[in-house]
Amino acid sequence: MPDDVAGLDDAALARRVAAAGERIDSHAESELYRRLAPRVRLYGLRHLRDPHAAHDLMQQVLLMTLERLRAGKLREPERIGSFVLGMSRMVVLEIRRGTWRRETLLDTFGDMAEAVDAPEPLALDADKLAACLQALAERERTVVVLTFFADKAADEVAGELGLTAGNVRVIRHRAIARLRECMGGDPS
Amino acid sequence: MMSERCEAPIALEALVAYWLGELAASAEEPIEEHLFRCASCVRRLEALAALGSGIRAAVRDGAVQALITPSFLELMQRQGMRIREYRVEAGATVACTIQADDDAVVGRMQVALAGVHRVDALHRLDLLDGRVREWRVDDVPFGPEARELLLLPSASMLKQLPAHALRVELVAVDDRAERSLGTYTFAHTPS
Repeated sequence: MPDDVAGLDDAALARRVAAAGERIDSHAESELYRRLAPRVRLYGLRHLRDPHAAHDLMQQVLLMTLERLRAGKLREPERIGSFVLGMSRMVVLEIRRGTWRRETLLDTFGDMAEAVDAPEPLALDADKLAACLQALAERERTVVVLTFFADKAADEVAGELGLTAGNVRVIRHRAIARLRECMGGDPS
Repeated sequence: MMSERCEAPIALEALVAYWLGELAASAEEPIEEHLFRCASCVRRLEALAALGSGIRAAVRDGAVQALITPSFLELMQRQGMRIREYRVEAGATVACTIQADDDAVVGRMQVALAGVHRVDALHRLDLLDGRVREWRVDDVPFGPEARELLLLPSASMLKQLPAHALRVELVAVDDRAERSLGTYTFAHTPS
């Protein structure tokens, strides 16, 4: 990563992209893309529950954001986070309604979306995770497996296991903290 | 690199609830506003998402041994997993195997659970060569209407095991005593 952008916050990067306009500050654009990519991808995963759709959303939203920054259409670059969130919400809503029409931004930006070193989704050591799952108490393991394999909220898991939703949240919280600790991460 | 420390990190419980869609829109919005400003909390959410996808992969890859619910089994089937099922009554033995292309094997242990509040499962794995392993699983989860307990062994481990007999005894536990609900034997032969 070039040193001239590493120390800048998101707003400063957005201002640099906007100030460069069509002259294009590729360092600032790449760094902004790299930082915002995981946020949009996670938003997409949360709302679309599909890794491919989330990746697509990320690419579209970030290229639309850079296009608007370059064109000077973003009045408050310091609110870049809120702008990208708003854009993500709008696109997800239109995808759900079936009214989303992809902008032909890849032509404008060439291969930038592919060239930028956007962080890959985090992947855990499968063998270690299997061992950590096995080390949980049976009830904890059943709750986290039901929760994450089936994408079930606490009240749904509770209904299936004859527990209260509060009880499921307690078991789930303990299990996740144990798993994260077992995997070598911060349990909080 | 600019500092990415968060002064007011989102609590893990709130992150989990957000990720699972448990929050009302009014509670979700400020979390999303925060996430779009905060690289540190995004990394924590990313770790949670990775845990979720890791668990899904572990189930699909047959790396998890767990007691599951009927709706969970249905979901595995809907996702196209190849599942071999063995229904076994209390006191009975069922001959079972696993094929190379099976994704999972499920033992459906039929059991009367009316009035039972806690069940423990006593396992005895006999490898038929003098090696025996015993372990107890306390407080196995089951639903209020359950008439069976579904045992999902690790398919990847099962595929490596030689012929063996797994006996599972389910016992009802209350403050005063334990009562056997039934013994179930899975006589496994490699494919």
